[in-house]
Amino acid sequence: MKLAYYPGCVSQSTGKEMDASTRAVCLALGIELVELDDWNCCGATHVSNELVATGLAARNMARTDLPIMTACSICYSNLRAAAQRLEETETREKVNAVLDKKYSGARVRHALDVILEALAENDERIVVPLKELKVAPYYGCLLTRPTGLYSPQFPSILEKLIKRLQAEPVEFRLKTFCCGGPIFMPQEKAAEEIAFKILWEAKKAGAEVIVTVCPLCHLMLDAKQKVLEQKHGEKIGIPVLYVTQLAGIALGLGPEELGLEMNSVSPMAMVERVYERMAEGI
Amino acid sequence: MARDETFKHEVLRLAGAEVLTCIQCGTCSASCPTAHLMNPSIRRLIKLCLEGKKKEALHNETLWLCTSCLLCTVRCPRGIRPKAVVSALKDIAERAGLRSKDAAYEQFFLKQIKDYGRIAELALTGEFLLVFPQGAVQSMQMGLELLPRGKIDLKIEKIKGRDEVKRIVEELSK
Repeated sequence: MKLAYYPGCVSQSTGKEMDASTRAVCLALGIELVELDDWNCCGATHVSNELVATGLAARNMARTDLPIMTACSICYSNLRAAAQRLEETETREKVNAVLDKKYSGARVRHALDVILEALAENDERIVVPLKELKVAPYYGCLLTRPTGLYSPQFPSILEKLIKRLQAEPVEFRLKTFCCGGPIFMPQEKAAEEIAFKILWEAKKAGAEVIVTVCPLCHLMLDAKQKVLEQKHGEKIGIPVLYVTQLAGIALGLGPEELGLEMNSVSPMAMVERVYERMAEGI
Repeated sequence: MARDETFKHEVLRLAGAEVLTCIQCGTCSASCPTAHLMNPSIRRLIKLCLEGKKKEALHNETLWLCTSCLLCTVRCPRGIRPKAVVSALKDIAERAGLRSKDAAYEQFFLKQIKDYGRIAELALTGEFLLVFPQGAVQSMQMGLELLPRGKIDLKIEKIKGRDEVKRIVEELSK
Protein backbone atom coordinates (compact mmCIF):
# COMPACT_ATOMS: atom_id res chain seq x y z
CA MET A 1 0.00 0.00 0.00
CA LYS A 2 1.17 3.49 -0.84
CA LEU A 3 0.00 6.58 1.04
CA ALA A 4 0.80 10.28 1.08
CA TYR A 5 2.14 11.18 4.52
CA TYR A 6 1.31 14.49 6.18
CA PRO A 7 3.65 14.77 9.19
CA GLY A 8 2.31 18.07 10.60
CA CYS A 9 4.34 20.82 12.30
CA VAL A 10 4.95 18.98 15.58
CA SER A 11 6.79 16.23 13.72
CA GLN A 12 9.76 18.61 13.69
CA SER A 13 9.64 19.37 17.41
CA THR A 14 7.50 18.17 20.33
CA GLY A 15 6.15 15.22 18.35
CA LYS A 16 9.41 13.83 16.96
CA GLU A 17 8.77 10.40 18.44
CA MET A 18 5.31 10.39 16.85
CA ASP A 19 6.90 10.94 13.46
CA ALA A 20 9.74 8.45 13.99
CA SER A 21 7.44 5.68 15.23
CA THR A 22 4.90 6.29 12.46
CA ARG A 23 7.57 5.90 9.79
CA ALA A 24 9.11 2.86 11.51
CA VAL A 25 5.81 1.03 11.97
CA CYS A 26 4.69 1.70 8.41
CA LEU A 27 8.01 0.41 7.12
CA ALA A 28 7.63 -2.75 9.21
CA LEU A 29 4.11 -3.29 7.89
CA GLY A 30 5.06 -2.75 4.26
CA ILE A 31 3.15 0.53 3.93
CA GLU A 32 4.97 2.95 1.67
CA LEU A 33 4.78 6.58 2.76
CA VAL A 34 5.45 9.45 0.38
CA GLU A 35 5.82 12.69 2.31
CA LEU A 36 3.48 15.40 1.03
CA ASP A 37 5.55 17.88 -0.91
CA ASP A 38 5.88 21.37 0.64
CA TRP A 39 3.02 20.81 3.10
CA ASN A 40 1.75 23.65 5.29
CA CYS A 41 0.33 23.97 8.81
CA CYS A 42 -3.30 22.85 9.12
CA GLY A 43 -4.07 25.77 11.44
CA ALA A 44 -4.51 23.46 14.43
CA THR A 45 -7.19 24.86 16.75
CA HIS A 46 -6.01 28.44 16.40
CA VAL A 47 -7.43 29.62 13.09
CA SER A 48 -10.84 31.04 13.94
CA ASN A 49 -11.93 31.80 10.41
CA GLU A 50 -13.43 28.60 9.03
CA LEU A 51 -12.86 29.46 5.39
CA VAL A 52 -9.16 30.17 6.02
CA ALA A 53 -8.83 26.86 7.88
CA THR A 54 -10.54 25.14 4.95
CA GLY A 55 -8.14 26.80 2.50
CA LEU A 56 -5.08 25.73 4.49
CA ALA A 57 -6.29 22.13 4.55
CA ALA A 58 -7.24 22.23 0.87
CA ARG A 59 -3.74 23.30 -0.17
CA ASN A 60 -2.36 20.19 1.55
CA MET A 61 -5.00 17.86 0.17
CA ALA A 62 -4.57 19.16 -3.39
CA ARG A 63 -0.90 18.12 -3.37
CA THR A 64 -1.51 14.43 -4.01
CA ASP A 65 -3.83 11.91 -5.62
CA LEU A 66 -3.00 9.27 -3.01
CA PRO A 67 -4.98 8.81 0.21
CA ILE A 68 -3.40 11.07 2.87
CA MET A 69 -2.32 9.65 6.21
CA THR A 70 -1.45 11.62 9.33
CA ALA A 71 -0.68 10.45 12.86
CA CYS A 72 -1.87 13.73 14.40
CA SER A 73 -5.54 13.91 15.35
CA ILE A 74 -5.60 17.69 15.02
CA CYS A 75 -4.38 17.57 11.43
CA TYR A 76 -6.72 14.64 10.80
CA SER A 77 -9.76 16.45 12.16
CA ASN A 78 -8.99 19.64 10.25
CA LEU A 79 -8.42 17.87 6.95
CA ARG A 80 -11.57 15.80 7.27
CA ALA A 81 -13.74 18.73 8.34
CA ALA A 82 -12.37 20.77 5.44
CA ALA A 83 -13.01 17.94 2.96
CA GLN A 84 -16.61 17.90 4.12
CA ARG A 85 -17.00 21.67 3.71
CA LEU A 86 -15.34 21.51 0.30
CA GLU A 87 -18.17 19.31 -0.94
CA GLU A 88 -20.23 22.50 -1.11
CA THR A 89 -19.71 24.04 -4.53
CA GLU A 90 -19.60 27.63 -3.26
CA THR A 91 -16.91 26.88 -0.68
CA ARG A 92 -14.87 24.84 -3.14
CA GLU A 93 -14.99 27.61 -5.74
CA LYS A 94 -13.94 30.28 -3.27
CA VAL A 95 -11.05 28.14 -2.05
CA ASN A 96 -9.92 27.00 -5.47
CA ALA A 97 -9.82 30.63 -6.62
CA VAL A 98 -6.80 31.21 -4.36
CA LEU A 99 -5.05 27.84 -4.72
CA ASP A 100 -2.27 27.06 -7.20
CA LYS A 101 -3.12 23.34 -7.44
CA LYS A 102 -6.90 22.99 -7.35
CA TYR A 103 -8.70 20.77 -4.86
CA SER A 104 -10.84 18.01 -6.31
CA GLY A 105 -11.45 15.61 -3.44
CA ALA A 106 -9.34 13.66 -0.97
CA ARG A 107 -9.35 10.65 1.30
CA VAL A 108 -7.87 11.32 4.75
CA ARG A 109 -6.80 8.55 7.11
CA HIS A 110 -5.35 8.37 10.59
CA ALA A 111 -2.31 6.16 11.24
CA LEU A 112 -4.35 4.26 13.83
CA ASP A 113 -6.85 3.13 11.23
CA VAL A 114 -4.13 2.30 8.69
CA ILE A 115 -2.21 0.15 11.20
CA LEU A 116 -5.31 -1.67 12.39
CA GLU A 117 -6.24 -2.48 8.80
CA ALA A 118 -2.74 -3.77 8.06
CA LEU A 119 -2.64 -6.11 11.06
CA ALA A 120 -4.49 -9.39 10.92
CA GLU A 121 -5.75 -11.13 14.06
CA ASN A 122 -2.82 -13.13 15.48
CA ASP A 123 -0.61 -11.48 12.86
CA GLU A 124 2.74 -13.28 12.80
CA ARG A 125 4.54 -9.93 12.65
CA ILE A 126 3.47 -9.32 16.26
CA VAL A 127 6.62 -10.89 17.66
CA VAL A 128 6.28 -9.28 21.10
CA PRO A 129 2.66 -9.81 22.14
CA LEU A 130 1.77 -7.29 24.84
CA LYS A 131 0.15 -9.92 27.03
CA GLU A 132 -1.41 -8.71 30.29
CA LEU A 133 -0.35 -5.14 29.61
CA LYS A 134 -3.07 -2.82 30.92
CA VAL A 135 -3.54 0.02 28.47
CA ALA A 136 -5.72 3.12 28.92
CA PRO A 137 -7.13 4.00 25.48
CA TYR A 138 -7.13 7.78 25.38
CA TYR A 139 -8.86 9.16 22.29
CA GLY A 140 -9.06 12.81 23.25
CA CYS A 141 -11.27 14.93 21.02
CA LEU A 142 -10.27 15.27 17.46
CA LEU A 143 -9.78 11.72 16.22
CA THR A 144 -13.52 11.31 16.41
CA ARG A 145 -14.85 14.87 16.20
CA PRO A 146 -16.42 16.51 14.30
CA THR A 147 -16.36 14.04 11.39
CA GLY A 148 -14.14 11.09 12.26
CA LEU A 149 -14.83 7.60 11.03
CA TYR A 150 -15.75 6.51 14.51
CA SER A 151 -18.44 7.26 17.08
CA PRO A 152 -17.77 10.80 18.33
CA GLN A 153 -18.48 9.89 21.96
CA PHE A 154 -18.22 6.12 22.27
CA PRO A 155 -15.50 4.95 19.90
CA SER A 156 -13.87 1.53 20.25
CA ILE A 157 -11.22 1.40 17.53
CA LEU A 158 -8.33 1.96 19.96
CA GLU A 159 -9.53 -0.89 22.14
CA LYS A 160 -9.67 -3.03 19.01
CA LEU A 161 -6.05 -2.25 18.15
CA ILE A 162 -4.92 -2.76 21.77
CA LYS A 163 -6.53 -6.20 21.74
CA ARG A 164 -4.97 -7.02 18.40
CA LEU A 165 -1.58 -6.31 19.97
CA GLN A 166 -2.75 -8.79 22.63
CA ALA A 167 -2.81 -6.19 25.40
CA GLU A 168 -5.78 -5.40 27.66
CA PRO A 169 -7.69 -2.12 27.36
CA VAL A 170 -8.85 -0.82 30.75
CA GLU A 171 -12.25 0.77 31.37
CA PHE A 172 -11.46 4.44 31.05
CA ARG A 173 -14.34 6.82 31.67
CA LEU A 174 -12.63 9.96 30.40
CA LYS A 175 -11.35 8.46 27.18
CA THR A 176 -12.96 11.08 24.93
CA PHE A 177 -12.65 13.99 27.37
CA CYS A 178 -10.43 16.92 26.37
CA CYS A 179 -6.82 17.14 27.64
CA GLY A 180 -6.88 20.95 27.72
CA GLY A 181 -3.95 21.17 25.33
CA PRO A 182 -5.25 23.81 22.90
CA ILE A 183 -5.41 26.46 25.63
CA PHE A 184 -2.37 25.48 27.69
CA MET A 185 -0.28 28.52 26.76
CA PRO A 186 -2.68 31.38 27.53
CA GLN A 187 -4.92 29.50 30.02
CA GLU A 188 -2.44 27.36 31.92
CA LYS A 189 -4.49 26.72 35.05
CA ALA A 190 -7.65 25.59 33.27
CA ALA A 191 -5.68 23.29 30.97
CA GLU A 192 -3.67 21.71 33.78
CA GLU A 193 -6.78 21.05 35.81
CA ILE A 194 -8.39 18.93 33.12
CA ALA A 195 -5.16 17.17 32.11
CA PHE A 196 -4.66 16.04 35.71
CA LYS A 197 -8.21 14.63 35.82
CA ILE A 198 -7.36 12.36 32.91
CA LEU A 199 -4.10 11.14 34.44
CA TRP A 200 -5.82 10.50 37.76
CA GLU A 201 -8.61 8.58 36.06
CA ALA A 202 -6.07 6.43 34.17
CA LYS A 203 -4.29 5.67 37.42
CA LYS A 204 -7.52 4.70 39.16
CA ALA A 205 -8.33 2.43 36.21
CA GLY A 206 -5.09 0.54 36.86
CA ALA A 207 -3.37 1.49 33.61
CA GLU A 208 0.30 0.60 33.13
CA VAL A 209 0.45 2.84 30.08
CA ILE A 210 -1.75 5.44 28.41
CA VAL A 211 -1.95 5.40 24.65
CA THR A 212 -2.64 8.58 22.68
CA VAL A 213 -3.37 9.49 19.07
CA CYS A 214 -2.60 13.22 19.28
CA PRO A 215 0.64 15.12 19.94
CA LEU A 216 -1.07 17.74 22.07
CA CYS A 217 -2.66 15.10 24.31
CA HIS A 218 0.77 13.54 24.51
CA LEU A 219 2.41 16.81 25.52
CA MET A 220 -0.16 17.44 28.25
CA LEU A 221 -0.08 13.93 29.71
CA ASP A 222 3.60 13.07 29.23
CA ALA A 223 5.76 16.22 29.16
CA LYS A 224 3.60 17.89 31.79
CA GLN A 225 3.12 14.85 34.00
CA LYS A 226 5.93 15.71 36.41
CA VAL A 227 4.73 19.29 36.89
CA LEU A 228 1.16 18.10 37.40
CA GLU A 229 2.33 15.57 39.99
CA GLN A 230 4.17 18.32 41.87
CA LYS A 231 1.23 20.71 41.77
CA HIS A 232 -1.25 18.10 43.01
CA GLY A 233 1.08 16.31 45.41
CA GLU A 234 0.15 12.97 43.83
CA LYS A 235 2.37 10.43 42.09
CA ILE A 236 1.12 9.27 38.70
CA GLY A 237 4.17 7.68 37.03
CA ILE A 238 2.36 6.28 34.00
CA PRO A 239 4.19 6.32 30.66
CA VAL A 240 2.24 7.79 27.76
CA LEU A 241 2.87 6.28 24.34
CA TYR A 242 1.71 7.20 20.88
CA VAL A 243 -0.35 4.42 19.38
CA THR A 244 2.42 3.99 16.80
CA GLN A 245 4.99 3.47 19.58
CA LEU A 246 2.83 0.83 21.25
CA ALA A 247 2.27 -0.98 17.96
CA GLY A 248 6.01 -0.73 17.24
CA ILE A 249 6.91 -2.43 20.52
CA ALA A 250 4.61 -5.33 19.63
CA LEU A 251 6.19 -5.53 16.18
CA GLY A 252 9.56 -5.98 17.88
CA LEU A 253 10.98 -2.59 16.91
CA GLY A 254 13.67 -1.09 19.13
CA PRO A 255 13.56 1.94 21.45
CA GLU A 256 15.62 4.03 19.05
CA GLU A 257 13.42 3.42 16.02
CA LEU A 258 10.36 4.27 18.08
CA GLY A 259 11.86 7.31 19.80
CA LEU A 260 11.12 5.81 23.23
CA GLU A 261 13.97 7.77 24.82
CA MET A 262 12.20 10.99 23.82
CA ASN A 263 9.26 10.32 26.12
CA SER A 264 9.32 12.29 29.37
CA VAL A 265 7.98 9.49 31.56
CA SER A 266 10.27 6.63 30.61
CA PRO A 267 8.41 3.63 29.22
CA MET A 268 11.49 1.39 29.53
CA ALA A 269 10.43 -0.39 32.74
CA MET A 270 7.10 -1.14 31.11
CA VAL A 271 8.83 -2.46 27.98
CA GLU A 272 11.04 -4.70 30.13
CA ARG A 273 7.95 -6.08 31.84
CA VAL A 274 6.49 -6.93 28.45
CA TYR A 275 9.66 -8.82 27.48
CA GLU A 276 9.83 -10.58 30.87
CA ARG A 277 6.23 -11.78 30.55
CA MET A 278 7.02 -13.05 27.07
CA ALA A 279 10.11 -14.92 28.39
CA GLU A 280 8.00 -16.46 31.15
CA GLY A 281 5.62 -17.70 28.48
CA ILE A 282 2.60 -15.78 29.73
CA MET B 1 -28.53 48.41 25.47
CA ALA B 2 -29.79 48.40 21.89
CA ARG B 3 -29.63 45.24 19.83
CA ASP B 4 -26.81 45.18 17.34
CA GLU B 5 -28.45 43.39 14.42
CA THR B 6 -25.35 43.68 12.21
CA PHE B 7 -23.31 41.86 14.82
CA LYS B 8 -25.94 39.15 15.17
CA HIS B 9 -26.02 38.59 11.43
CA GLU B 10 -22.24 38.43 11.22
CA VAL B 11 -22.26 35.66 13.83
CA LEU B 12 -24.97 33.82 11.90
CA ARG B 13 -23.04 34.22 8.64
CA LEU B 14 -19.89 32.75 10.18
CA ALA B 15 -21.36 30.09 12.47
CA GLY B 16 -24.49 29.08 10.55
CA ALA B 17 -28.11 30.25 10.52
CA GLU B 18 -29.13 27.25 12.64
CA VAL B 19 -27.88 29.18 15.68
CA LEU B 20 -31.28 30.91 15.50
CA THR B 21 -32.94 27.65 16.49
CA CYS B 22 -31.20 27.46 19.89
CA ILE B 23 -33.64 26.39 22.62
CA GLN B 24 -31.25 27.26 25.48
CA CYS B 25 -31.29 23.68 26.77
CA GLY B 26 -27.73 23.93 28.10
CA THR B 27 -26.45 20.65 26.66
CA CYS B 28 -23.42 22.59 25.38
CA SER B 29 -22.57 23.95 28.83
CA ALA B 30 -23.12 20.55 30.43
CA SER B 31 -20.67 18.99 27.96
CA CYS B 32 -17.95 21.60 28.23
CA PRO B 33 -14.71 20.61 30.03
CA THR B 34 -14.08 24.20 31.15
CA ALA B 35 -17.71 25.20 31.81
CA HIS B 36 -17.10 25.71 35.53
CA LEU B 37 -14.60 28.47 34.74
CA MET B 38 -16.76 30.25 32.18
CA ASN B 39 -18.79 33.38 32.76
CA PRO B 40 -20.96 33.74 30.74
CA SER B 41 -21.54 30.05 30.06
CA ILE B 42 -21.48 28.84 26.47
CA ARG B 43 -25.28 28.59 26.54
CA ARG B 44 -25.56 32.20 27.69
CA LEU B 45 -22.96 33.30 25.13
CA ILE B 46 -25.21 32.05 22.33
CA LYS B 47 -28.12 33.96 23.85
CA LEU B 48 -26.05 37.14 23.94
CA CYS B 49 -25.29 36.74 20.23
CA LEU B 50 -28.95 36.27 19.37
CA GLU B 51 -29.82 39.34 21.44
CA GLY B 52 -27.22 41.32 19.53
CA LYS B 53 -25.29 42.15 22.69
CA LYS B 54 -21.98 42.62 20.97
CA LYS B 55 -19.93 44.02 23.79
CA GLU B 56 -20.90 41.36 26.32
CA ALA B 57 -20.44 38.61 23.75
CA LEU B 58 -16.94 39.72 22.78
CA HIS B 59 -15.43 40.91 26.04
CA ASN B 60 -15.20 37.84 28.21
CA GLU B 61 -12.87 35.00 29.08
CA THR B 62 -15.32 32.35 27.85
CA LEU B 63 -14.12 32.60 24.24
CA TRP B 64 -10.59 31.84 25.33
CA LEU B 65 -11.46 28.98 27.66
CA CYS B 66 -12.90 26.95 24.79
CA THR B 67 -10.55 24.04 24.08
CA SER B 68 -12.17 23.25 20.69
CA CYS B 69 -13.01 19.76 21.95
CA LEU B 70 -16.28 19.80 19.97
CA LEU B 71 -18.33 17.81 22.50
CA CYS B 72 -20.91 20.64 22.42
CA THR B 73 -21.03 20.37 18.66
CA VAL B 74 -21.64 16.63 18.47
CA ARG B 75 -24.22 16.77 21.26
CA CYS B 76 -26.37 19.80 20.39
CA PRO B 77 -29.93 18.55 19.80
CA ARG B 78 -30.55 21.39 17.34
CA GLY B 79 -27.50 20.69 15.21
CA ILE B 80 -25.92 23.99 16.19
CA ARG B 81 -22.14 24.16 16.41
CA PRO B 82 -21.47 26.15 19.59
CA LYS B 83 -17.72 25.93 18.99
CA ALA B 84 -18.27 27.59 15.62
CA VAL B 85 -20.04 30.42 17.47
CA VAL B 86 -16.95 30.80 19.66
CA SER B 87 -14.72 30.81 16.58
CA ALA B 88 -16.94 33.41 14.91
CA LEU B 89 -16.69 35.65 17.97
CA LYS B 90 -12.90 35.24 18.09
CA ASP B 91 -12.72 36.07 14.40
CA ILE B 92 -14.85 39.20 14.90
CA ALA B 93 -12.81 40.21 17.95
CA GLU B 94 -9.52 39.72 16.15
CA ARG B 95 -10.63 41.70 13.11
CA ALA B 96 -11.87 44.49 15.39
CA GLY B 97 -8.37 44.62 16.86
CA LEU B 98 -9.44 43.52 20.33
CA ARG B 99 -6.34 43.06 22.43
CA SER B 100 -5.81 40.35 25.02
CA LYS B 101 -3.13 37.79 25.73
CA ASP B 102 -5.29 35.05 24.23
CA ALA B 103 -6.06 37.01 21.07
CA ALA B 104 -2.33 37.77 20.77
CA TYR B 105 -1.51 34.04 20.86
CA GLU B 106 -3.87 33.35 17.97
CA GLN B 107 -2.54 36.33 16.03
CA PHE B 108 1.07 35.15 16.41
CA PHE B 109 -0.01 31.68 15.33
CA LEU B 110 -1.65 32.98 12.17
CA LYS B 111 1.27 35.30 11.46
CA GLN B 112 3.66 32.33 11.54
CA ILE B 113 1.46 30.46 9.09
CA LYS B 114 1.47 33.51 6.82
CA ASP B 115 5.21 34.11 7.08
CA TYR B 116 6.57 30.55 7.12
CA GLY B 117 3.71 28.25 6.13
CA ARG B 118 4.38 26.21 9.27
CA ILE B 119 4.56 26.68 13.03
CA ALA B 120 7.90 27.07 14.77
CA GLU B 121 6.93 26.38 18.39
CA LEU B 122 9.97 28.00 19.96
CA ALA B 123 9.56 31.29 18.11
CA LEU B 124 5.82 31.26 18.81
CA THR B 125 6.43 30.81 22.53
CA GLY B 126 9.04 33.57 22.51
CA GLU B 127 6.73 36.05 20.83
CA PHE B 128 3.91 35.17 23.20
CA LEU B 129 6.06 35.63 26.28
CA LEU B 130 6.86 39.18 25.20
CA VAL B 131 3.19 40.08 25.65
CA PHE B 132 2.53 37.67 28.52
CA PRO B 133 5.65 37.28 30.66
CA GLN B 134 3.58 35.50 33.34
CA GLY B 135 3.75 32.44 31.10
CA ALA B 136 7.52 32.23 31.53
CA VAL B 137 7.53 29.74 34.41
CA GLN B 138 5.39 27.24 32.53
CA SER B 139 7.46 27.72 29.37
CA MET B 140 10.73 27.22 31.26
CA GLN B 141 9.43 24.00 32.83
CA MET B 142 8.33 22.78 29.43
CA GLY B 143 11.63 23.81 27.87
CA LEU B 144 13.64 21.92 30.49
CA GLU B 145 11.54 18.87 29.79
CA LEU B 146 11.78 19.01 26.00
CA LEU B 147 15.27 20.40 25.30
CA PRO B 148 17.32 17.43 26.59
CA ARG B 149 15.11 15.11 24.55
CA GLY B 150 15.86 16.98 21.35
CA LYS B 151 12.26 18.05 20.99
CA ILE B 152 12.81 21.77 20.58
CA ASP B 153 13.55 22.75 17.02
CA LEU B 154 15.83 25.76 16.92
CA LYS B 155 15.52 26.46 13.23
CA ILE B 156 12.50 27.91 11.51
CA GLU B 157 11.31 25.91 8.51
CA LYS B 158 9.89 27.95 5.68
CA ILE B 159 7.91 26.30 2.92
CA LYS B 160 8.25 27.23 -0.75
CA GLY B 161 4.56 28.02 -1.20
CA ARG B 162 4.55 30.92 1.25
CA ASP B 163 2.93 33.32 -1.22
CA GLU B 164 0.10 30.90 -1.80
CA VAL B 165 -0.43 30.38 1.94
CA LYS B 166 -0.40 34.13 2.52
CA ARG B 167 -3.01 34.50 -0.19
CA ILE B 168 -5.18 31.81 1.46
CA VAL B 169 -5.06 33.61 4.80
CA GLU B 170 -5.61 37.11 3.43
CA GLU B 171 -8.14 36.49 0.66
CA LEU B 172 -10.31 33.95 2.46
CA SER B 173 -10.62 35.95 5.67
CA LYS B 174 -12.27 38.85 3.85
